[in-house]
Amino acid sequence: MATMANPIDLQAETQTRKNHFVVVHPLDDVPETKVDTEALGPMPMTRSVRFSLLSLRAYLILMVLLVVYHVMMLAR
Amino acid sequence: MTNKILTMPASGVETEVMPVRGRVVKSKWTRDLLTFLMVFGPGLIVMVADNDAGAVSTYSQAGAQYGTHLLWIVLLLLPVTYFIQEMVVRLGIATGKGHAAMIYQRFGKWWGLFSLVDLEVVNFLTLVTEFAAIHLALNKLGVDPRYGVPLAAACLILMVLTGSYRRWERTVVFLCLLDFAWFWIAFRLGPPMGQIVKHALAPSMPAGGITPELMFLVIAIVGTTIAPWQLFFQQSCIADKRLRFADVKWARLDTFLGACVTITAAVCMMIAGAASHAHGFRFNDPAQMATDIGTFAGPAMRNLILLMMINAAVLGTTAISLSSAWAYGEVRGWPHSLQLPWREARGFYALYLVCVAAAAGIVLIPRAPLQLIILGVQVLAGVILPSAIIFLQLLLNDKELLGEYANKPWNNWVNWTIVIVLFILSLILAAQVAAPNLFPSAVSGPTT
Repeated sequence: MATMANPIDLQAETQTRKNHFVVVHPLDDVPETKVDTEALGPMPMTRSVRFSLLSLRAYLILMVLLVVYHVMMLAR
Repeated sequence: MTNKILTMPASGVETEVMPVRGRVVKSKWTRDLLTFLMVFGPGLIVMVADNDAGAVSTYSQAGAQYGTHLLWIVLLLLPVTYFIQEMVVRLGIATGKGHAAMIYQRFGKWWGLFSLVDLEVVNFLTLVTEFAAIHLALNKLGVDPRYGVPLAAACLILMVLTGSYRRWERTVVFLCLLDFAWFWIAFRLGPPMGQIVKHALAPSMPAGGITPELMFLVIAIVGTTIAPWQLFFQQSCIADKRLRFADVKWARLDTFLGACVTITAAVCMMIAGAASHAHGFRFNDPAQMATDIGTFAGPAMRNLILLMMINAAVLGTTAISLSSAWAYGEVRGWPHSLQLPWREARGFYALYLVCVAAAAGIVLIPRAPLQLIILGVQVLAGVILPSAIIFLQLLLNDKELLGEYANKPWNNWVNWTIVIVLFILSLILAAQVAAPNLFPSAVSGPTT
């Protein structure tokens, strides 16, 4: 039968496929599905993390004010 | 096969995706090598670009003041810089988005805006210092900076306007590889190998012990090796390159190799500074150091150091401007990809162009307040760094976001230790620069 593949040919083809690897550049590849960050929304935080971030915010505001004051003094 | 229209998470626009094009290879070894070469880029670029003009100045100053005594500190920074950037790799690959977008989405508007504004301001001020270095080096090379600086700015703009990420990456990787010239410079100028190995592996203090000057130079070395823009740049770069989950190990290797190259180049810069010190020269700036070295190593060596200084500034400029443009584009929801042509991402490219052109323009203004700008860079970088790393650490512990790519307990131990040390150091640096009277015996603020 013409349509039936010879088992030996099939085995050889499988072997050839095993010995060949296709390498695709990330920019040529189909894009992967990543985490939908927008659907996740804001990060849930414990009270201690929230407090730490508030402290960090106070520190940053203080530092920025200090920098602005210092630069204004230098610019005079 | 018909082309599909998909929305790219990195660029935020619908893009026509070409059918998958791949290369067929016969061995696993070739497959791994080729995959690595395809993934390779963001890690090397972020690390080598970190050795920008400010870094050349800081490392060579450290060598000029303390010889090779501080080499061990630079080597100690190799794992630190790798661990921080490795977190960015995981975050970028898992989310396909930039760091600014992540902070905005997971921590809300206040933090998103604060991080963005701080990043944009400190990046712009850093760009001015990069062009100031180009100005200085061109002057010493005998090139009129009135023509040389605009030419450098024009080349930097053309580099990104090709509408091809790959073209930009190849150009920048080529510039990164030029950094190997520092190895030759160090080899020609260096002290005996035994001394280098001894000071690199066995921590030692310079004569005079721990002084405020030494303390602030150490802080400056740490500050220049780990900069806030690096976090934003590498994550956006990975998102723009669309790295896949399977690429994580190769992206880690890329980052590790980049860290090795940048730390070794930093060691070489320190050795060059030590050579000028050994010949009795006093350090003023790296361009002057190149001229001093030229008196005993020849004009070719002087010109090579000046050209490497320009190369460092050019690499720093393209990476920093891109981190600004990517971050702004992500937060505003603009199309923001180097893969897009100019007409499809006008806001993104315009921001890059404005950053580069304005920074180059400021440098050409006679009597521009460059000292004030350098001061601003130091303080604002000190302010943004701890908060940026804390957000990075919180994001990396977000299992909802990262799943299996979230930090393991040992990651957290290492990273929190780094965060605490960096926080203390940046606090001291910011306080010293903002209020110098706190540390009266310290020299003027070191360069970031």
